[in-house]
Amino acid sequence: MIDVHLFFYFGIFLAILGSLATAWGPGVNDPIVRTFNTEVASIGVCLILLCYNHTLALLTLIATTVIITLILFRAIIRLEEMGADV
Amino acid sequence: MIFTPPYVPSEFIFMYMPAIYAGLIVGFIGSMAIAMKREELHILILTDLIGLAMIFVVSAVGTDLAEALILPGLVVELAETMAISEILISREMRKIDADPRRNLSKASSLFPQPFALNMEIMTTAPNFIALVLIGYGIFLTGFTGGAVAGGGIVLYALSKKARGMPVLVIDGIAGVSGISWCLWIIGFLLFFVAPNLWLISLFLAACGLLLKVASKVGLIGLLMREDIDKE
Repeated sequence: MIDVHLFFYFGIFLAILGSLATAWGPGVNDPIVRTFNTEVASIGVCLILLCYNHTLALLTLIATTVIITLILFRAIIRLEEMGADV
Repeated sequence: MIFTPPYVPSEFIFMYMPAIYAGLIVGFIGSMAIAMKREELHILILTDLIGLAMIFVVSAVGTDLAEALILPGLVVELAETMAISEILISREMRKIDADPRRNLSKASSLFPQPFALNMEIMTTAPNFIALVLIGYGIFLTGFTGGAVAGGGIVLYALSKKARGMPVLVIDGIAGVSGISWCLWIIGFLLFFVAPNLWLISLFLAACGLLLKVASKVGLIGLLMREDIDKE
């Protein structure tokens, strides 16, 4: 039986690492890299919600993360094609 | 004195302080990064981090209340990201209109190259998978069911080759959204006026939310289809 605290502290570790990577990580001047780095923090939050047994919140977080990623990619690619300084 | 409700498991009480501190750290990192960046698009991406910090702090409560508070937070974050990205795109279009000397390609889309999905599975399977997803979403009801049913609509919309929506259909989707909002409000009111009818009011609210979320996610799929299906 794996201890639930292992998942909990690993989730916290992933969330903090992912947010640091999003803020100051390597190559974040490219907005696509920055968007991918938020996924790391998002997986950490998923682990936390799993520890707390929040099933509906976990499903909704996964669904909204996918939709937000699609929206951000659409915005990034449109802005880059229009020649904005992103 | 710290008041803890008796139905909170003791495990969650020990997990409370680490979760709160982690949420504060993540929120602090996100705010510092927002303060140091200048480009709006990067700030929009970094707002996601603030949303994650919000989820941390709310989920540390550990009861059903936390779950009930996380759902609207996520939905509001989604709507906010959508609105701000549209505002950024339209502002950039205004800049181009003001200064037309900048030579730009007319077509701008999600996939710069023509992106034709010529897979056999995209023409045969979607009818069945979309039907299963929509049926399962209706069975689930509520926000999660709406997301599942909307995923079915997105799959169907992306895989079908027909382009352009008649105006009547878009008006119809807006009408469905309004009706679902009315259902939700009636259910909420009935819950307080006649508490013994709690089951019907619960189902009114759940079905209203299902219709609303499914139609909104389906609209996103229709928007994306305009980008994907260009030859």
